[in-house]
Amino acid sequence: MREQIITRDVVANPKSVYGDKRASTRHFFTQRVTGAINIAFLALLLFVVVRLAGQDRVDMVAVIGNAWIGLPLALLLVIVAIHMRNGMRDTLEDYFHGRTYSLYMMLNTMFCLAVGVVGVVSILKLVFWG
Amino acid sequence: MTVRSRPLSPHLQIYRWTITMAMSIAHRGTGIANYVGTILLVAWLAAAAWGQEPLNGINAVYGSWFGQLVLFGYTWSLIHHMLGGIRHFIWDFIIGMEPGQREMLAWANLIASVVLTLLVWTLFVWMA
Repeated sequence: MREQIITRDVVANPKSVYGDKRASTRHFFTQRVTGAINIAFLALLLFVVVRLAGQDRVDMVAVIGNAWIGLPLALLLVIVAIHMRNGMRDTLEDYFHGRTYSLYMMLNTMFCLAVGVVGVVSILKLVFWG
Repeated sequence: MTVRSRPLSPHLQIYRWTITMAMSIAHRGTGIANYVGTILLVAWLAAAAWGQEPLNGINAVYGSWFGQLVLFGYTWSLIHHMLGGIRHFIWDFIIGMEPGQREMLAWANLIASVVLTLLVWTLFVWMA
């Protein structure tokens, strides 16, 4: 998936290999596995959101503060962040290339990292410090 | 070597719309919407970690008619994308790719996403 400059010679050479078969297979597989895990966590997310929507902080601490709910929820956010970055990469690869692609990909990584870190830190705060 | 100018590849407006094409675009669209929508979830969790005041602010915004509209759309987007993912899982086993089958799967994706969204909101919001 690293950018490859495709020249006339590359196209003419029948032995040319396009893309990185290991990284691309891993990308495909990661997307399927993280997607499946997201579905497995559906009940947990639905429970948390339905139970706590519009509730006060005390209720949020009582439910998410329970490590059996909070820690899996934090894990889910990490998996979701990976799935997001992977999926956005597919989109970016379709519409951008070269330096523009690299720039957007960096922004993508930063956004997903921010979502994961803010989410996990917030949950850990609720779990360990109330 | 001179190459004569070639016709450009036709874009979306040229093609007759098919349900499989529409659901493919919807899968990407909902994926991007979910990507942005995680801000809603994380902002809520961060506000709860921060304190009661920020949480009150978030609850007021999410509880407003516009907030509810966005959350309803987010619910549909998540469900549609999940069902689209399941459709891809099915295709990974080389099932459901024949003419007729793939259209059926695409329609099922759309209809089920609407039905499930309405079901979730009826059960957990409107009747709760």
